[in-house]
Amino acid sequence: PSRAMQGPSSGLRFLGQEEAQAIDQELFTEYKFSVDQLMELAGLSCATAIAKAYPPSSFTTSQPAVLVVCGPGNNGGDGLVCARHLKMFGYEPTIYYPKRPNKPLFEGLSTQCQKMDIPFLPEFPTEAAFIDELYGLVVDAIFGFSFKGEVREPFGSILSTLERVTVPIASIDIPSGWDVEKGKADGLQPDMLISLTAPKKAALHFAGRYHFLGGRFVPAALQKKYSLNLPAYPETDCVLQLT
Amino acid sequence: QAFPLPSLPRKQPTVLVVCGPAQNGAIGLVCARHLRIFDYEPTIFYPKRSPDPLYRDLTTQCEKMDIPFLSYLPTEVQLINDAYNAVVDAVLGAEGEMGEGREPCAAILATLKHIRIPIVSLDVPSGWDVEAGSSGGISPDVLVSLSAPKQCARRFLGRQHFVAGRFLPYDVQKKFELNPPEYPGTECVVALRAPR
Repeated sequence: PSRAMQGPSSGLRFLGQEEAQAIDQELFTEYKFSVDQLMELAGLSCATAIAKAYPPSSFTTSQPAVLVVCGPGNNGGDGLVCARHLKMFGYEPTIYYPKRPNKPLFEGLSTQCQKMDIPFLPEFPTEAAFIDELYGLVVDAIFGFSFKGEVREPFGSILSTLERVTVPIASIDIPSGWDVEKGKADGLQPDMLISLTAPKKAALHFAGRYHFLGGRFVPAALQKKYSLNLPAYPETDCVLQLT
Repeated sequence: QAFPLPSLPRKQPTVLVVCGPAQNGAIGLVCARHLRIFDYEPTIFYPKRSPDPLYRDLTTQCEKMDIPFLSYLPTEVQLINDAYNAVVDAVLGAEGEMGEGREPCAAILATLKHIRIPIVSLDVPSGWDVEAGSSGGISPDVLVSLSAPKQCARRFLGRQHFVAGRFLPYDVQKKFELNPPEYPGTECVVALRAPR
């Protein structure tokens, strides 16, 4: 039985912020997934999508160096998982993680990265040009679908710098700083977006080259309940290229 | 990879996943859930459920994905041969020696020994000694070694042997001299070449 229901045209639904939060909550409270489980699958999806679009051989830097910028919440956690899998896929990730939640989950993820010899920068590069020189890709794991309102420091300055970077940026779930539904015309312009679970409305404003879907864990009943109309993932892949 | 959907002999892509009481069984639950996501139709037999909250949640996840749980395992092996394309053996892992003699594992293994459809064993063919292997035990078609192959894998005579250990940090690999093979692309398993 086909799992993917196709609506008119592509049919794929783009979620509002509250819907995205409701689906997330349902995965935890009704389906009893743990944050760890879904974060691991999400982070793995991100690393896999990056590996497909930017294989290590495509980097012009001497090593396939990637800067992973992690925010203060779950999007940052996704970034930590992503960094660890990038390392296993042969990349050389470096993490910047200025605001770390005091919770065992995030402490564990940080330790896993440290023990895999992934360096954590003590401070953020002051100039976009430094980032361009040292890294072939930046992973934006700062803010996700819960983001609302003002951008607090140090992330305001970080985003200003990232907006001037010329190497590609891959954003996890939502380009950081964007309104989750309306986007941000003068904000970050990532080259890649990895939408997790289902794309959010902000993705309608995404103008980069690569839009991937990740987070292949949504039960069929939940997809149906929210009429997600997700297209079929190829075989056993954990990501699907949308554009 | 070993049994792609188009290759299955039965009209429905049914798979029986037999889960033991400990960690090997819990891994079977996770496997069943992902098989469901991959569009297989798994059915689980999980007679002795752990009270561990993690394992209870894994069970709930399967239930909420509409994966049926059998209330008993048919002793008539033809029923199993007819209903399923393959059986996932997630009964006992490296802790095998402690579990194999006790019910319900002993009865399960006695049945599995006689089925004719392929068996995929997770980590250690259930009932085998982790190091010495087994004579007269189950004969899986496919073995998926977790982290790294156990010594008994040397006696594995089936069609395909996969290693799933890509998550092991480099210094653990080095410390235990695992010498793992290279994983292709972003794959989390690698098929070992059959020994000649």
